[in-house]
Amino acid sequence: MAAATSQAVRFRRGITLPIFLLIAWEVSSRSGLADPRFLPSLENVALTAKRELIDNNLFGDLAYSLMRNLAGFLIGSALGVGFATLLALSRIADRLVMPTFNAVKQISLLAWIPLISVWFGFGEQAKIVFVALAAFIPIVLNTYDGMRAAPADLLEVGRALKFRPHQRALRIYIPSAMPAIATGVHLGLIYSWLATVGAEYFLAVGPGIGGLVIAGRERFDMAMVMVGVFILGLVGFSLNRLAYSLEAYLLRWRPRQVR
Amino acid sequence: MAVISEFFGHARLRPRKRLLGRLGTGATALVLPVAILTLWWVASDRGWLPQQILPAPAYVYEMARDMIASGEILYHTGVSLRRVIIGFAIGAALGLSLGIAMGLSEVVEDYAKPLFLAFAQIPTLGWIPLLMLLVGIDETLKIIIIAKGAFVPMAMNTFTGIRNVSPRYIEVGHALRFSRWQQLRLIILPAAIPSIFTGIRYGLTHSWTSLVGVELLASSEGLGYLLVWGRQMFWLDTVIIAMIAIGIVGFVMDKGLNSTEHLIQRWKKGEA
Amino acid sequence: MTKVPHIQIENVTRKFQVSGGSLVALDNVTLDIAEGEFVTIVGASGCGKSTLLRLGAGLDTNHEGSVIHAGVPVDGPSLDRGMVFQEPRLFPWLTVERNIALGLENSGLPKSEKKQLVAQHLELVGLTAFAKAYPHQLSGGMAQRAGIARGLVNRPDVLFLDEPFGALDAITKTRLQDELQEIWAKERITMVLVTHDVDEAVYLGDRVVIMSPRPGRIREIVEVNLPRPRVRTAATLLQVRNRVLNSLNETTGAIDRERPAAVFEESATVSKQPITAFA
Repeated sequence: MAAATSQAVRFRRGITLPIFLLIAWEVSSRSGLADPRFLPSLENVALTAKRELIDNNLFGDLAYSLMRNLAGFLIGSALGVGFATLLALSRIADRLVMPTFNAVKQISLLAWIPLISVWFGFGEQAKIVFVALAAFIPIVLNTYDGMRAAPADLLEVGRALKFRPHQRALRIYIPSAMPAIATGVHLGLIYSWLATVGAEYFLAVGPGIGGLVIAGRERFDMAMVMVGVFILGLVGFSLNRLAYSLEAYLLRWRPRQVR
Repeated sequence: MAVISEFFGHARLRPRKRLLGRLGTGATALVLPVAILTLWWVASDRGWLPQQILPAPAYVYEMARDMIASGEILYHTGVSLRRVIIGFAIGAALGLSLGIAMGLSEVVEDYAKPLFLAFAQIPTLGWIPLLMLLVGIDETLKIIIIAKGAFVPMAMNTFTGIRNVSPRYIEVGHALRFSRWQQLRLIILPAAIPSIFTGIRYGLTHSWTSLVGVELLASSEGLGYLLVWGRQMFWLDTVIIAMIAIGIVGFVMDKGLNSTEHLIQRWKKGEA
Repeated sequence: MTKVPHIQIENVTRKFQVSGGSLVALDNVTLDIAEGEFVTIVGASGCGKSTLLRLGAGLDTNHEGSVIHAGVPVDGPSLDRGMVFQEPRLFPWLTVERNIALGLENSGLPKSEKKQLVAQHLELVGLTAFAKAYPHQLSGGMAQRAGIARGLVNRPDVLFLDEPFGALDAITKTRLQDELQEIWAKERITMVLVTHDVDEAVYLGDRVVIMSPRPGRIREIVEVNLPRPRVRTAATLLQVRNRVLNSLNETTGAIDRERPAAVFEESATVSKQPITAFA
């Protein structure tokens, strides 16, 4: 293949489009080519960001969103790993529960919101339940698949070494399912962020980043919506990074993959 | 994936337990739903929970029958399906094109990928309010949101699929003096198909989720609308029926994808 | 000096259910192995040599006839019987040290003793410097050394090895054979090694068991009455090797592909029964 392009060239190429877009944006909003209500100037967006972040304590709200996200995610993933382990290792539990789970998982995540709001109200509890559900489903599916695919030859080593059931689970099933569990946790993290935003949209609109976006739309304040969307992306990005490092740490026994 | 693990899983399983052994697999699968239904029935019959929080199963059943008979359910399902099909087709086509372009050309990758990744970080739900301001709340909004849901996983998986094609196969192509087009048609695309299929699968799931989201926020028809409406009127039976309909559509899409995948990937071991 | 057989395999038959009938992997096999003996088993693929090994180790108990280890019937795996697989089957998520320690999970020994045993066996196979490495960082030979250490760490009195060097390059293979021989001399345990490499079988074995396929039977047992350490190029060793090769060629070769199984069964009946005198 062709010689690797240098880092500098790749970087230059990478920022070309974003810079071009920013210039186009600025020019069209300044020159009046685009309606500033739809495309506010960069300055306007920056000022709005400052206003929301510093004057209106958006950081506090954001912390609130993140706490909610984290609480739901932790509950959902702990329950998910436990539940999947039970299903993967017990034939009875598997046959009793898995078909129902497979049917229920087909219901699109957001479709649960109305029912959850009836059962748990519009407050914090409902939001956390919803976020936990969002993390729970991908984690169960991936953990279950991972454990089911535990390598037969290692299981045989376990037999030769007279492993007891709990040793089989701890020494073989769980570690060999780790890559799959990590994938599940990664997806769970992404879905739980989606769910946090969803919960803030559809349940009580209150403090939180979702609330900011909704309020911006209601006031027809495009700059405010943009700031909110930007922060949503930033948090999503950070969570993704977090998941990658967590994955790298949990899977440090694997040969390094070429990325 | 599921098929492979099913296979391995059952290969290692112990002889069947007596109690469940006598019941067939199908019957065992029904134990839990029947138990839940019974509990539900008893709970509403004894009035443990108010009707608004838990309507009687019989009531839900009757309502479902009425909604099917009147064509209401079918109508809303049709509306939602039409949106998903159009949105998914647009998003998947765009995602496939971008994925192929980035996969085949490092220059395109260098230019497009950073922006694409930044774009992908923002949850689909995040775009809804912004787009509402730009394009209003009619059909265009829904199509764009659904297309976005399909676009990101499609582009990403096509890209990685093409990049992960083993250089050894490509070498075979060189040895056989394939042209670029032959290289693409005979080696790269077939080898990337499993990954592209993963993209289709995630894309369709995301499209369907996005649809429900956008219909919850801004719609006057469709299954998502049915949910909101039922919720607002405190008609929980309608909410439950809409959820079931959403689940059934999801299930049918999932099965459809599975059989298509098997058909296309007959050469893959263990999935036949 | 007569010894009681350490491992007694008597009239063992093992059938596998395959689609449309049953396949006889082992047909009425009898083999006695003395304590401290090094027995190697060779044969073409499909002769049931690995099946025989798995029966001896207790990984497979679904057979007719009896398998007895130190006077006790084998009814499952035991920590007194070590096992080394062809692919070393190390747990990729554990370091070398902890992989070896796996063998001691159920030994019931105190922690300090486990630690000492692990260190001792790391030393034995020359992996002390790699104690903290993960399997993917090891070469094939090193990985197999770790596999051997795991098989030995329980101090079993018999070690079963299933083509342990089959996947290694020639140079590594030679070295590991010598190392295994040294370990055997030092630890004084019984070893049963399955291989398809005649040189390896002859070089390592006190006796070489030659098996013939379809159905799996013992064709002949050749004694290698040569002092150790042996010289690979010695004429005496080559003589034994040729004898084993000839015997193998009579059973396999063209038959493997062309002659139907029924004809083959007849030819296999000429096999000599095991020599039971351990003089």
